[in-house]
Amino acid sequence: MAVAQENAHPEGRSSSPFWTIARRDSLAGFLFIAPQLIGIVVFVLIPLGLVFWYSLHEWNVLANTFTYTGAQNYRMLMEDESLLEVLGATAIFSAGLVIFNLSLALLLAVLLNQRLAGIAIFRTLFFSPVVVSLVAWTIVWGFLLQKNGGINGMLLTFGIEGPNWLREETTAMISVIVVQVFKNVGLNMILFLAALQGVPKELYEAARIDGAPAFKQFRRITLPLISPTILLTSIITIVGSLQVFAQIAVLTQGGPGLSTTVLVYYLYQQAFQFHFFGYGSTLSILLFAIVAILTFAQWQMRKRIVFYES
Amino acid sequence: MLYQRTLKTTACALAILGTFALGGTALAQDAVNLRMTIWSANEAHLKLFNEIASGFKKDHPNVSVTYESLPFETYTTALTTQIAGGNAPDMAWIFETSAYDFVKSGALYPLTDTLKAAEGYNLDEVSAGATERWTEDGKLYAYPFSTSPFAVFVNNDLIKAAGAKTPAEMIAAGDWTWDNAIATAAAVAKSGKGGLVVRDFNYQAWQYLTSVWNGWGASPWSADGKTCTMADKPMADALAFIHDAVFTKKAIPGPGETVDFFAGNAAMTITQISRASLLPKEKPFSWDLVPLPKGSAGEYALIGQAGIGVMQSGKNAETAADFVAYMTNPENSAKLSQFFPSARKSLLNADILKKTNPLLTQEQIEKVVISGIATGKVMPGHTGFAQIQQMVRSNLDAVWRPEADVPATLQKICGQIGPLLKR
Amino acid sequence: MRADISPRAKVGLYGLMCVLLIPFVFPTWWMVTSSIKPISDIFAFPPQLVPQNYDWTTYSKVFELQPFVRQYWNSAYIAAVVTVGTMIISSMAGYAFARIRFPYANAVFMIVLLGLLIPSEVTIVPLFQMFLKAGMVNTHWPLILVPIFGAPSVFATFVMRQFFVTLPAELEEAARVDGLGRFKIFTKIALPLAKPALASVAIFTFLHSWNLFLEPIVFLSSADMFTLPQALTQYTDAYGGPMWNIQLAAATLTALPVLIVFIIAQKQFVEGLAHTGLKG
Repeated sequence: MAVAQENAHPEGRSSSPFWTIARRDSLAGFLFIAPQLIGIVVFVLIPLGLVFWYSLHEWNVLANTFTYTGAQNYRMLMEDESLLEVLGATAIFSAGLVIFNLSLALLLAVLLNQRLAGIAIFRTLFFSPVVVSLVAWTIVWGFLLQKNGGINGMLLTFGIEGPNWLREETTAMISVIVVQVFKNVGLNMILFLAALQGVPKELYEAARIDGAPAFKQFRRITLPLISPTILLTSIITIVGSLQVFAQIAVLTQGGPGLSTTVLVYYLYQQAFQFHFFGYGSTLSILLFAIVAILTFAQWQMRKRIVFYES
Repeated sequence: MLYQRTLKTTACALAILGTFALGGTALAQDAVNLRMTIWSANEAHLKLFNEIASGFKKDHPNVSVTYESLPFETYTTALTTQIAGGNAPDMAWIFETSAYDFVKSGALYPLTDTLKAAEGYNLDEVSAGATERWTEDGKLYAYPFSTSPFAVFVNNDLIKAAGAKTPAEMIAAGDWTWDNAIATAAAVAKSGKGGLVVRDFNYQAWQYLTSVWNGWGASPWSADGKTCTMADKPMADALAFIHDAVFTKKAIPGPGETVDFFAGNAAMTITQISRASLLPKEKPFSWDLVPLPKGSAGEYALIGQAGIGVMQSGKNAETAADFVAYMTNPENSAKLSQFFPSARKSLLNADILKKTNPLLTQEQIEKVVISGIATGKVMPGHTGFAQIQQMVRSNLDAVWRPEADVPATLQKICGQIGPLLKR
Repeated sequence: MRADISPRAKVGLYGLMCVLLIPFVFPTWWMVTSSIKPISDIFAFPPQLVPQNYDWTTYSKVFELQPFVRQYWNSAYIAAVVTVGTMIISSMAGYAFARIRFPYANAVFMIVLLGLLIPSEVTIVPLFQMFLKAGMVNTHWPLILVPIFGAPSVFATFVMRQFFVTLPAELEEAARVDGLGRFKIFTKIALPLAKPALASVAIFTFLHSWNLFLEPIVFLSSADMFTLPQALTQYTDAYGGPMWNIQLAAATLTALPVLIVFIIAQKQFVEGLAHTGLKG
């Protein structure tokens, strides 16, 4: 208290002794975050709690029955043979998406960071898919990836017979990853570009005087300095990759086999197509747990991969 | 509940802040507003439906009906989401494949008494075959308002250009069989166009292959729905035939190939006759409509159905049932049949059908439509169809490759869906 | 930035970028050109880069078949309200998390961050029930309230916090000496400096709202209330088959204005981001 009062600058007009700066600040802080916090409680935490509640029930929507079954849905989760395959597909999809997305975004950002005439036009064009409606984008790619679609038509002019993209397990996975990356890589690209432009130019000049080759400059100066951005974009991209749904629904419907059935799509099938809302809720809880653990792990790793924090 | 109050408080606070207007209609207390979910957003359809609704309003001034178009592909999903959220519509269209789920769940209001009591309704003229899927314990739970036979549309220009025999010639010679149909399709495919397209199948919605494998007498499960018959000989033979047609003879466009018959790019397509409206008006080609070819099990026909059901949970279920009775009475059925062929016997004559299907000839109507509706079976359905469908689909992917082991895959499918069928 | 680039390297860079551009530009080009092709040409193989036959009626049909202008307005005003609302909420919260010390700040921040982690598919059913009880189904409220206050705004709060953390403390101390309270410091000092961060929040939020697909499908049921992505799926023929060319025409109409706004404002956007806390 004494310390606080000592610090108390003449806060102006009518400050009663009770309203120390610390107290005023606490109140102000709570008021500032109140709308967001209430929103999170109402629109995230309560629904999440309800989803957990559903997951303890067998809920037949059509027959309108809602029976408490305890951990039965969770036992079903352990015994679900398809789930392993689904989790495998999810891991491949997310890993592939993050790696391809971040490396392409970084490559594009480095290219766009060059001082070239007309670079703004390229920047706009690389970003343009971000503003195209996801549904339209996916439908168009669905056409292009057909066996007799645009991609194979293009390959044929080079004398290559293209694969049946959406029908082979490997190429189907590659296709859904690539379609998603081209749609959204523009966002990460812009974030990286901003980060690159924030790197002090003097550092490069110093390195050049020392005779460091361009690649070394990139590894020693650029990468460490933009590492916070890499961390942020990788978190956003991983979390986003676990939520990809419409693309799978339009392009492959999870096939061939279960090869592109990622967890969100599986959840959607169970809850909305098969009407197993109880089991769907259990899968929701699983998805939430996976996302939370991954994010926590990345956050913990930041000390090792991020070289400094602003 | 607490969150409700919080929500409302938040909303009020925002309402003061915001100056934007929001939709939402206030209703008078005694007025009844019925809502029907449908999967068509077609203007002509909606115009007709609204006419029927205003016709109903004449006798029931306090009742108004609104139609809610949900996207076709996600229709059942969107409908069950509404039901799960406690916002079930009063009436809903139902696909034949999910019919069992709705009919057996108790979600629907029984219609038999209302329909029988309606004046001049004459429910008896609707054949038992047509109502079978929608009936449980002798009660009709949804009315099959659309009964549309599957048939083969033919592009004679392409077939003649390829020097092959047209279906009409084969029918005249009495050898309109699957073997010959595939031979013609293969000849056209060799010329660079598409052969025979099973429309809507896309190597995913395998239930559309029923239009082929019924010719072998094949069926995915037994009549009582309890036993898997995918691995039985008829199905194995039929799928081996289809596999051969796709990968060896190239008569059926393979997976991942888009060929549109109605754009003039394929020799033949199997689809419902109502798709005749998709035939091109500009740059038309010489087309024909013929029954499905004979399979090894002889002649057969297949119909697609759609039903209207009344939701049990609605406050106005009785009024809604009255509306369904009005909407599907003989007079309105006649109007509806220009888009949705009726299963009423009185409407199944060539004169009436000619009026509602001006594109078809007398002969086509008799051979395809009338005999199709009279003798046709319905596509397979089952309780929990969506899950079974998905399970079969993901396994059948192994069949749709050149070097597939068809019998082994079918065994595997039966192993997987067997427990689901018994449930 | 590196010094001058040799002419040969320039050619190489341009060439590389042009090749990389193909998958970004071709689908959009195909969408725009196919929207004026007759439907039979859409499936032509190999695909036509330039339409050989024109059918401009697709664009008038877009407006005939649905209340497209109304749907355009719905999408636009919802996105605008959500953007402004999110900017207010997230800048306040972001400022508090970055600059104000208050009890449990870290714990609260962690709770708020939870919102980043939850896919909308997970909570859509309970949210639907809540809004139904509040009588807000088939209104635009869910599409406005959830993004502003719920999970989607958390990313914006995070961006704002990262920005405000970098503000020098001296600015605020000087303001305090001048007798300004917290709210005044926020509105008069911090916010004006935060314009670049706010700009990027605005763009992210607008795009998110503009492209929202699952929520409108679940919450809205009458054509007059639809938003654009949802309306796109409604261009179907009598039997549910999509009318491709009309759908593509409508898709083109929804993409072009946003694209034009981005082309005009992209310099501010990119340079704005360079000054936010998202940089290195």
